[in-house]
Amino acid sequence: MGASLQEVKRRISSTKKTEQITGAMQMVSTAKLSQIQRHATGYQLYAEKIRSVITHLAKSHLLDNGAAGISASPNQAGDQINGLGMLVKRPVKKTGIIVITSDRGLVGSYNSNVIKQTLDLIANGNHSTNDIVIIAIGGTGADFFKKRGFNVAYEYRGISDIPKFRETHELVKRIITMYSAEIFDELYVCYNHFVNSLTSEFRAEPMLPISAMNIGSEGLGEDSAAGYSAEYEMEPSEDAILEVVLPQYAESLIYGSILDAKTAEHASSSTAMKSATDNAKDIISSLELQYNRARQSAITTEITEITGAQAALD
Amino acid sequence: MAEEKLLTVNVVTPDGSVYDEKTPMAVFRTTVGELGILPEHIPLLASLEIDEVRVKVPNTEGKFDEIVVNGGFVEFSDNVATVVANSAERKEDIDLERAERARKRAQERLKKARQEKDTDKLRRAEVSLRRAVNRLNVSKH
Repeated sequence: MGASLQEVKRRISSTKKTEQITGAMQMVSTAKLSQIQRHATGYQLYAEKIRSVITHLAKSHLLDNGAAGISASPNQAGDQINGLGMLVKRPVKKTGIIVITSDRGLVGSYNSNVIKQTLDLIANGNHSTNDIVIIAIGGTGADFFKKRGFNVAYEYRGISDIPKFRETHELVKRIITMYSAEIFDELYVCYNHFVNSLTSEFRAEPMLPISAMNIGSEGLGEDSAAGYSAEYEMEPSEDAILEVVLPQYAESLIYGSILDAKTAEHASSSTAMKSATDNAKDIISSLELQYNRARQSAITTEITEITGAQAALD
Repeated sequence: MAEEKLLTVNVVTPDGSVYDEKTPMAVFRTTVGELGILPEHIPLLASLEIDEVRVKVPNTEGKFDEIVVNGGFVEFSDNVATVVANSAERKEDIDLERAERARKRAQERLKKARQEKDTDKLRRAEVSLRRAVNRLNVSKH
Protein backbone atom coordinates (compact mmCIF):
# COMPACT_ATOMS: atom_id res chain seq x y z
CA MET A 1 0.00 0.00 0.00
CA GLY A 2 2.73 2.41 0.95
CA ALA A 3 4.49 1.98 -2.40
CA SER A 4 1.31 2.66 -4.34
CA LEU A 5 0.68 5.74 -2.21
CA GLN A 6 4.13 7.02 -3.16
CA GLU A 7 3.51 6.24 -6.81
CA VAL A 8 0.20 8.06 -6.97
CA LYS A 9 1.81 11.03 -5.29
CA ARG A 10 4.56 11.07 -7.87
CA ARG A 11 2.08 10.87 -10.72
CA ILE A 12 0.11 13.77 -9.29
CA SER A 13 3.15 15.98 -9.10
CA SER A 14 4.32 15.10 -12.60
CA THR A 15 0.88 15.74 -14.08
CA LYS A 16 0.80 19.05 -12.25
CA LYS A 17 4.04 20.04 -13.91
CA THR A 18 2.68 19.08 -17.32
CA GLU A 19 -0.39 21.13 -16.60
CA GLN A 20 1.75 24.12 -15.77
CA ILE A 21 3.62 23.79 -19.05
CA THR A 22 0.55 23.39 -21.24
CA GLY A 23 -1.13 26.20 -19.34
CA ALA A 24 1.79 28.50 -20.06
CA MET A 25 1.83 27.47 -23.70
CA GLN A 26 -1.83 28.20 -23.97
CA MET A 27 -1.32 31.68 -22.65
CA VAL A 28 1.55 32.28 -25.06
CA SER A 29 -0.54 31.14 -28.00
CA THR A 30 -3.45 33.28 -26.95
CA ALA A 31 -1.19 36.31 -26.67
CA LYS A 32 0.25 35.63 -30.11
CA LEU A 33 -3.21 35.17 -31.48
CA SER A 34 -4.37 38.56 -30.33
CA GLN A 35 -1.15 40.10 -31.59
CA ILE A 36 -1.50 38.64 -35.05
CA GLN A 37 -5.14 39.59 -35.22
CA ARG A 38 -4.20 43.17 -34.58
CA HIS A 39 -1.59 42.93 -37.29
CA ALA A 40 -4.08 41.38 -39.68
CA THR A 41 -6.45 44.32 -39.43
CA GLY A 42 -3.67 46.55 -40.74
CA TYR A 43 -3.17 44.20 -43.64
CA GLN A 44 -6.91 44.06 -44.33
CA LEU A 45 -6.79 47.75 -45.17
CA TYR A 46 -4.06 47.23 -47.70
CA ALA A 47 -5.67 44.17 -49.28
CA GLU A 48 -8.98 45.93 -49.58
CA LYS A 49 -7.41 48.85 -51.40
CA ILE A 50 -5.56 46.71 -53.90
CA ARG A 51 -8.62 44.62 -54.48
CA SER A 52 -10.85 47.58 -55.10
CA VAL A 53 -8.41 49.00 -57.62
CA ILE A 54 -8.16 45.64 -59.37
CA THR A 55 -11.91 45.24 -59.38
CA HIS A 56 -12.22 48.62 -60.88
CA LEU A 57 -9.78 47.76 -63.62
CA ALA A 58 -11.60 44.51 -64.16
CA LYS A 59 -14.84 46.43 -64.47
CA SER A 60 -13.48 48.50 -67.28
CA HIS A 61 -13.11 45.22 -69.18
CA LEU A 62 -9.44 45.56 -69.10
CA LEU A 63 -8.85 42.11 -67.79
CA ASP A 64 -10.60 40.40 -70.67
CA ASN A 65 -9.03 42.67 -73.21
CA GLY A 66 -5.69 42.34 -71.58
CA ALA A 67 -5.85 38.59 -71.49
CA ALA A 68 -6.97 38.35 -75.07
CA GLY A 69 -4.73 41.07 -76.36
CA ILE A 70 -1.49 39.73 -75.07
CA SER A 71 -0.61 36.68 -76.98
CA ALA A 72 1.23 34.38 -74.67
CA SER A 73 4.76 35.60 -74.88
CA PRO A 74 6.12 33.88 -71.86
CA ASN A 75 9.59 33.26 -73.14
CA GLN A 76 10.94 36.45 -71.79
CA ALA A 77 10.04 34.89 -68.50
CA GLY A 78 12.69 34.33 -65.92
CA ASP A 79 14.49 37.58 -66.33
CA GLN A 80 11.47 39.65 -65.50
CA ILE A 81 8.33 39.33 -63.51
CA ASN A 82 5.76 39.91 -66.13
CA GLY A 83 2.69 41.48 -64.60
CA LEU A 84 0.42 41.20 -67.57
CA GLY A 85 1.55 37.62 -68.05
CA MET A 86 -0.33 36.78 -64.89
CA LEU A 87 -3.58 37.25 -66.73
CA VAL A 88 -2.81 34.81 -69.48
CA LYS A 89 -4.27 31.34 -69.04
CA ARG A 90 -1.82 28.75 -70.17
CA PRO A 91 -2.60 25.14 -70.92
CA VAL A 92 -2.04 23.47 -67.59
CA LYS A 93 0.82 21.04 -67.64
CA LYS A 94 1.87 21.38 -64.06
CA THR A 95 -0.01 22.55 -61.03
CA GLY A 96 1.71 24.38 -58.24
CA ILE A 97 0.35 24.03 -54.76
CA ILE A 98 1.46 26.11 -51.83
CA VAL A 99 0.87 24.14 -48.66
CA ILE A 100 1.01 26.15 -45.47
CA THR A 101 1.62 24.13 -42.33
CA SER A 102 3.29 24.83 -39.04
CA ASP A 103 6.91 24.20 -38.20
CA ARG A 104 6.26 22.63 -34.86
CA GLY A 105 3.74 20.25 -33.42
CA LEU A 106 1.40 20.74 -30.49
CA VAL A 107 -1.18 22.42 -32.64
CA GLY A 108 -3.89 19.79 -32.52
CA SER A 109 -5.24 18.60 -35.82
CA TYR A 110 -4.03 21.68 -37.64
CA ASN A 111 -1.36 20.04 -39.77
CA SER A 112 -3.06 16.74 -40.43
CA ASN A 113 -6.12 18.63 -41.55
CA VAL A 114 -4.26 20.67 -44.16
CA ILE A 115 -2.26 17.72 -45.42
CA LYS A 116 -5.23 15.40 -45.66
CA GLN A 117 -7.36 17.89 -47.54
CA THR A 118 -4.52 18.77 -49.86
CA LEU A 119 -4.12 15.10 -50.74
CA ASP A 120 -7.85 14.93 -51.39
CA LEU A 121 -7.58 17.92 -53.66
CA ILE A 122 -4.78 16.30 -55.62
CA ALA A 123 -6.71 13.05 -55.87
CA ASN A 124 -9.90 14.78 -57.00
CA GLY A 125 -8.13 16.81 -59.63
CA ASN A 126 -6.80 13.63 -61.21
CA HIS A 127 -3.31 14.96 -61.07
CA SER A 128 -0.57 12.45 -61.04
CA THR A 129 2.25 12.97 -58.60
CA ASN A 130 4.52 14.12 -61.40
CA ASP A 131 2.29 16.99 -62.42
CA ILE A 132 2.29 18.53 -58.98
CA VAL A 133 4.82 21.00 -57.77
CA ILE A 134 4.66 21.56 -54.04
CA ILE A 135 5.82 24.71 -52.37
CA ALA A 136 5.90 23.98 -48.69
CA ILE A 137 5.72 26.73 -46.13
CA GLY A 138 6.35 25.12 -42.77
CA GLY A 139 8.43 22.09 -41.93
CA THR A 140 5.67 19.57 -41.31
CA GLY A 141 4.27 19.81 -44.80
CA ALA A 142 7.71 19.83 -46.39
CA ASP A 143 8.72 16.63 -44.63
CA PHE A 144 5.47 14.90 -45.44
CA PHE A 145 5.40 15.64 -49.13
CA LYS A 146 9.07 14.88 -49.59
CA LYS A 147 8.61 11.51 -47.96
CA ARG A 148 5.71 10.79 -50.27
CA GLY A 149 7.88 11.45 -53.30
CA PHE A 150 6.28 14.70 -54.39
CA ASN A 151 8.26 17.31 -56.21
CA VAL A 152 8.89 19.89 -53.51
CA ALA A 153 10.19 22.84 -55.47
CA TYR A 154 10.72 25.09 -52.52
CA GLU A 155 10.43 24.83 -48.81
CA TYR A 156 10.44 27.58 -46.30
CA ARG A 157 10.91 26.95 -42.62
CA GLY A 158 11.13 29.12 -39.59
CA ILE A 159 8.53 31.69 -40.50
CA SER A 160 8.12 33.96 -37.51
CA ASP A 161 5.07 33.97 -35.31
CA ILE A 162 3.86 37.29 -36.56
CA PRO A 163 5.07 37.25 -40.15
CA LYS A 164 6.05 40.63 -41.49
CA PHE A 165 5.64 41.40 -45.15
CA ARG A 166 9.32 42.07 -45.60
CA GLU A 167 10.12 38.59 -44.41
CA THR A 168 7.78 36.85 -46.79
CA HIS A 169 8.55 39.14 -49.68
CA GLU A 170 11.53 37.16 -50.90
CA LEU A 171 9.51 33.96 -50.77
CA VAL A 172 6.57 35.45 -52.59
CA LYS A 173 8.84 36.93 -55.25
CA ARG A 174 10.35 33.54 -55.81
CA ILE A 175 6.99 31.88 -56.21
CA ILE A 176 5.95 34.44 -58.77
CA THR A 177 9.22 34.08 -60.64
CA MET A 178 8.63 30.34 -60.73
CA TYR A 179 5.26 30.98 -62.26
CA SER A 180 6.72 33.25 -64.92
CA ALA A 181 9.38 30.67 -65.64
CA GLU A 182 6.61 28.12 -66.29
CA ILE A 183 7.64 25.75 -63.55
CA PHE A 184 3.90 25.53 -63.02
CA ASP A 185 0.98 26.88 -65.01
CA GLU A 186 -1.55 27.38 -62.27
CA LEU A 187 -1.18 27.96 -58.59
CA TYR A 188 -3.30 26.99 -55.62
CA VAL A 189 -2.81 27.89 -52.02
CA CYS A 190 -3.91 25.36 -49.43
CA TYR A 191 -4.19 26.52 -45.86
CA ASN A 192 -6.42 26.67 -42.84
CA HIS A 193 -8.59 29.72 -42.82
CA PHE A 194 -9.15 31.24 -39.40
CA VAL A 195 -12.84 31.38 -38.59
CA ASN A 196 -12.76 31.96 -34.86
CA SER A 197 -10.55 30.83 -32.05
CA LEU A 198 -12.23 27.42 -31.93
CA THR A 199 -12.68 26.61 -35.58
CA SER A 200 -10.72 26.94 -38.73
CA GLU A 201 -11.62 25.61 -42.12
CA PHE A 202 -9.49 24.32 -44.93
CA ARG A 203 -9.27 26.46 -48.00
CA ALA A 204 -7.80 25.83 -51.39
CA GLU A 205 -7.75 28.99 -53.41
CA PRO A 206 -6.74 29.39 -57.01
CA MET A 207 -4.24 32.20 -57.12
CA LEU A 208 -2.57 32.34 -60.50
CA PRO A 209 -3.31 33.08 -63.25
CA ILE A 210 -5.36 36.01 -62.04
CA SER A 211 -8.72 35.80 -63.69
CA ALA A 212 -11.66 38.10 -63.49
CA MET A 213 -13.40 35.19 -61.85
CA ASN A 214 -11.15 34.76 -58.88
CA ILE A 215 -11.26 38.46 -58.25
CA GLY A 216 -15.03 38.25 -58.33
CA SER A 217 -15.03 35.29 -56.01
CA GLU A 218 -13.41 37.38 -53.33
CA GLY A 219 -16.87 38.47 -52.43
CA LEU A 220 -16.74 41.77 -54.23
CA GLY A 221 -20.26 42.18 -55.40
CA GLU A 222 -21.83 45.15 -57.05
CA ASP A 223 -22.22 47.25 -53.92
CA SER A 224 -18.60 47.44 -52.91
CA ALA A 225 -17.54 48.21 -56.43
CA ALA A 226 -20.15 50.89 -56.75
CA GLY A 227 -18.08 53.28 -54.68
CA TYR A 228 -15.42 53.12 -57.33
CA SER A 229 -17.60 53.72 -60.31
CA ALA A 230 -15.77 56.96 -60.97
CA GLU A 231 -13.55 56.82 -63.99
CA TYR A 232 -9.91 57.15 -63.21
CA GLU A 233 -7.35 59.11 -65.01
CA MET A 234 -4.50 56.73 -65.64
CA GLU A 235 -0.95 57.84 -65.32
CA PRO A 236 0.95 56.80 -67.45
CA SER A 237 -1.37 54.16 -68.97
CA GLU A 238 -3.68 51.36 -67.95
CA ASP A 239 -1.19 48.73 -68.99
CA ALA A 240 1.57 50.33 -66.99
CA ILE A 241 -0.66 50.49 -63.93
CA LEU A 242 -1.62 46.87 -64.31
CA GLU A 243 2.03 46.00 -64.65
CA VAL A 244 2.54 47.40 -61.15
CA VAL A 245 -0.73 46.42 -59.55
CA LEU A 246 -1.02 42.82 -60.65
CA PRO A 247 2.21 41.50 -59.14
CA GLN A 248 1.44 43.48 -56.02
CA TYR A 249 -1.98 41.90 -55.94
CA ALA A 250 -0.59 38.40 -56.28
CA GLU A 251 1.95 39.12 -53.59
CA SER A 252 -0.66 40.46 -51.25
CA LEU A 253 -2.85 37.41 -51.80
CA ILE A 254 -0.08 35.02 -50.91
CA TYR A 255 0.98 37.08 -47.92
CA GLY A 256 -2.64 37.25 -46.85
CA SER A 257 -3.01 33.50 -46.84
CA ILE A 258 0.21 33.07 -44.89
CA LEU A 259 -1.09 35.53 -42.33
CA ASP A 260 -4.45 33.80 -42.20
CA ALA A 261 -2.85 30.38 -41.81
CA LYS A 262 -0.61 31.64 -39.06
CA THR A 263 -3.59 33.08 -37.23
CA ALA A 264 -5.35 29.74 -37.49
CA GLU A 265 -2.20 28.03 -36.24
CA HIS A 266 -2.07 30.15 -33.10
CA ALA A 267 -5.75 29.60 -32.50
CA SER A 268 -5.39 25.88 -33.01
CA SER A 269 -2.38 25.74 -30.75
CA SER A 270 -4.20 27.68 -28.08
CA THR A 271 -7.20 25.35 -28.24
CA ALA A 272 -5.01 22.25 -28.21
CA MET A 273 -3.15 23.51 -25.16
CA LYS A 274 -6.36 24.43 -23.41
CA SER A 275 -7.77 20.94 -23.82
CA ALA A 276 -4.43 19.49 -22.70
CA THR A 277 -4.59 21.61 -19.57
CA ASP A 278 -8.20 20.55 -18.96
CA ASN A 279 -7.26 16.92 -19.39
CA ALA A 280 -4.40 17.33 -16.97
CA LYS A 281 -6.80 18.83 -14.44
CA ASP A 282 -9.14 15.85 -14.84
CA ILE A 283 -6.33 13.40 -14.33
CA ILE A 284 -5.11 15.26 -11.28
CA SER A 285 -8.52 15.25 -9.65
CA SER A 286 -9.06 11.55 -10.27
CA LEU A 287 -5.54 10.81 -9.03
CA GLU A 288 -6.12 12.88 -5.94
CA LEU A 289 -9.27 10.92 -5.22
CA GLN A 290 -7.32 7.72 -5.66
CA TYR A 291 -4.59 9.03 -3.40
CA ASN A 292 -7.00 10.02 -0.66
CA ARG A 293 -8.76 6.68 -0.84
CA ALA A 294 -5.49 4.83 -0.57
CA ARG A 295 -4.40 7.01 2.31
CA GLN A 296 -7.71 6.50 4.09
CA SER A 297 -7.62 2.76 3.66
CA ALA A 298 -4.04 2.71 4.92
CA ILE A 299 -5.16 4.56 8.06
CA THR A 300 -8.12 2.23 8.51
CA THR A 301 -5.87 -0.80 8.23
CA GLU A 302 -3.50 0.67 10.76
CA ILE A 303 -6.31 1.36 13.25
CA THR A 304 -7.71 -2.13 12.79
CA GLU A 305 -4.26 -3.54 13.44
CA ILE A 306 -3.81 -1.46 16.60
CA THR A 307 -7.23 -2.28 18.00
CA GLY A 308 -6.71 -5.93 17.04
CA ALA A 309 -3.45 -6.00 18.95
CA GLN A 310 -5.12 -4.24 21.90
CA ALA A 311 -7.90 -6.83 21.93
CA ALA A 312 -5.34 -9.64 21.86
CA LEU A 313 -3.53 -8.14 24.89
CA ASP A 314 -6.70 -7.75 26.92
CA MET B 1 -6.79 83.29 -44.27
CA ALA B 2 -9.81 81.40 -45.49
CA GLU B 3 -10.28 77.82 -44.45
CA GLU B 4 -7.84 75.75 -46.48
CA LYS B 5 -9.23 72.99 -48.61
CA LEU B 6 -7.69 69.71 -47.59
CA LEU B 7 -7.27 66.23 -48.91
CA THR B 8 -6.35 63.13 -46.96
CA VAL B 9 -3.19 61.23 -47.67
CA ASN B 10 -3.17 57.64 -46.54
CA VAL B 11 -0.17 55.37 -46.97
CA VAL B 12 -0.92 51.69 -46.51
CA THR B 13 1.46 48.77 -46.55
CA PRO B 14 0.83 45.10 -45.78
CA ASP B 15 2.08 45.77 -42.27
CA GLY B 16 -0.53 48.40 -41.64
CA SER B 17 -1.12 52.06 -42.24
CA VAL B 18 2.02 54.19 -42.08
CA TYR B 19 0.66 57.65 -42.59
CA ASP B 20 -2.76 59.22 -42.41
CA GLU B 21 -2.97 63.01 -42.42
CA LYS B 22 -4.84 65.87 -43.98
CA THR B 23 -3.01 68.22 -46.27
CA PRO B 24 -3.54 71.04 -48.77
CA MET B 25 -1.15 69.45 -51.26
CA ALA B 26 0.72 66.21 -51.87
CA VAL B 27 3.53 65.65 -54.34
CA PHE B 28 4.16 62.23 -55.82
CA ARG B 29 6.89 60.97 -58.04
CA THR B 30 5.27 58.80 -60.69
CA THR B 31 6.99 56.72 -63.31
CA VAL B 32 6.46 59.50 -65.83
CA GLY B 33 7.35 62.45 -63.66
CA GLU B 34 6.40 64.54 -60.70
CA LEU B 35 2.74 64.91 -59.90
CA GLY B 36 1.15 67.30 -57.47
CA ILE B 37 -2.33 66.62 -56.20
CA LEU B 38 -4.54 69.33 -54.78
CA PRO B 39 -7.92 68.82 -53.16
CA GLU B 40 -10.75 67.87 -55.49
CA HIS B 41 -8.51 66.50 -58.13
CA ILE B 42 -10.28 64.11 -60.51
CA PRO B 43 -9.98 60.41 -59.69
CA LEU B 44 -6.57 59.14 -60.64
CA LEU B 45 -4.40 56.08 -60.65
CA ALA B 46 -0.65 56.35 -61.03
CA SER B 47 2.28 54.04 -60.54
CA LEU B 48 5.03 55.42 -58.34
CA GLU B 49 8.80 55.47 -58.55
CA ILE B 50 10.95 54.32 -55.69
CA ASP B 51 11.14 57.78 -54.24
CA GLU B 52 9.48 59.96 -51.68
CA VAL B 53 6.01 61.31 -51.27
CA ARG B 54 5.90 64.86 -49.98
CA VAL B 55 2.90 65.99 -48.06
CA LYS B 56 2.49 69.62 -47.15
CA VAL B 57 1.73 70.21 -43.51
CA PRO B 58 -1.38 72.38 -43.19
CA ASN B 59 -1.04 75.98 -41.96
CA THR B 60 2.70 76.16 -42.44
CA GLU B 61 4.90 77.84 -44.98
CA GLY B 62 6.36 75.12 -47.10
CA LYS B 63 6.83 72.52 -44.44
CA PHE B 64 6.52 68.99 -45.83
CA ASP B 65 6.17 65.55 -44.31
CA GLU B 66 8.27 63.11 -46.25
CA ILE B 67 7.48 59.45 -46.68
CA VAL B 68 9.75 57.01 -48.43
CA VAL B 69 7.85 54.61 -50.66
CA ASN B 70 9.24 51.59 -52.43
CA GLY B 71 7.23 51.67 -55.60
CA GLY B 72 3.57 50.81 -55.57
CA PHE B 73 0.83 53.05 -56.81
CA VAL B 74 -1.39 55.89 -55.72
CA GLU B 75 -5.12 55.97 -56.04
CA PHE B 76 -7.05 59.19 -55.66
CA SER B 77 -10.80 59.46 -55.31
CA ASP B 78 -13.26 61.29 -53.07
CA ASN B 79 -10.49 63.57 -51.88
CA VAL B 80 -8.52 60.69 -50.44
CA ALA B 81 -5.15 59.80 -51.88
CA THR B 82 -4.20 56.25 -50.97
CA VAL B 83 -0.66 55.13 -51.56
CA VAL B 84 -0.47 51.36 -51.74
CA ALA B 85 3.11 50.17 -51.50
CA ASN B 86 4.95 47.08 -50.39
CA SER B 87 6.82 49.11 -47.88
CA ALA B 88 6.94 52.70 -46.79
CA GLU B 89 8.50 54.62 -43.96
CA ARG B 90 8.16 58.09 -42.60
CA LYS B 91 11.32 60.07 -42.75
CA GLU B 92 11.59 60.07 -38.96
CA ASP B 93 11.34 56.29 -38.83
CA ILE B 94 14.21 55.51 -41.15
CA ASP B 95 16.89 53.42 -39.55
CA LEU B 96 20.04 54.98 -40.99
CA GLU B 97 22.32 52.16 -40.01
CA ARG B 98 20.09 49.56 -41.53
CA ALA B 99 19.74 51.53 -44.74
CA GLU B 100 23.49 51.91 -44.95
CA ARG B 101 23.97 48.19 -44.48
CA ALA B 102 21.35 47.49 -47.13
CA ARG B 103 23.16 49.80 -49.52
CA LYS B 104 26.46 48.01 -49.03
CA ARG B 105 24.84 44.64 -49.47
CA ALA B 106 23.10 45.73 -52.64
CA GLN B 107 26.33 47.08 -54.08
CA GLU B 108 28.09 43.81 -53.45
CA ARG B 109 25.29 41.90 -55.07
CA LEU B 110 25.39 44.24 -58.01
CA LYS B 111 29.08 43.60 -58.48
CA LYS B 112 28.60 39.88 -58.29
CA ALA B 113 25.70 39.91 -60.70
CA ARG B 114 27.78 41.91 -63.19
CA GLN B 115 30.53 39.35 -63.03
CA GLU B 116 28.13 36.50 -63.52
CA LYS B 117 26.25 38.41 -66.20
CA ASP B 118 23.00 37.32 -64.60
CA THR B 119 20.44 39.86 -65.78
CA ASP B 120 17.81 38.71 -63.35
CA LYS B 121 20.05 39.14 -60.33
CA LEU B 122 21.40 42.38 -61.73
CA ARG B 123 17.97 43.85 -62.00
CA ARG B 124 17.02 42.80 -58.52
CA ALA B 125 20.23 44.15 -57.04
CA GLU B 126 19.63 47.44 -58.83
CA VAL B 127 16.19 47.72 -57.33
CA SER B 128 17.39 47.07 -53.81
CA LEU B 129 20.23 49.54 -54.28
CA ARG B 130 17.74 52.14 -55.44
CA ARG B 131 15.63 51.51 -52.38
CA ALA B 132 18.55 51.84 -50.01
CA VAL B 133 19.92 54.97 -51.67
CA ASN B 134 16.47 56.48 -51.73
CA ARG B 135 16.04 55.92 -48.03
CA LEU B 136 19.42 57.44 -47.29
CA ASN B 137 18.78 60.44 -49.50
CA VAL B 138 15.47 61.24 -47.95
CA SER B 139 16.74 60.93 -44.41
CA LYS B 140 19.56 63.32 -45.18
CA HIS B 141 17.61 66.32 -46.28
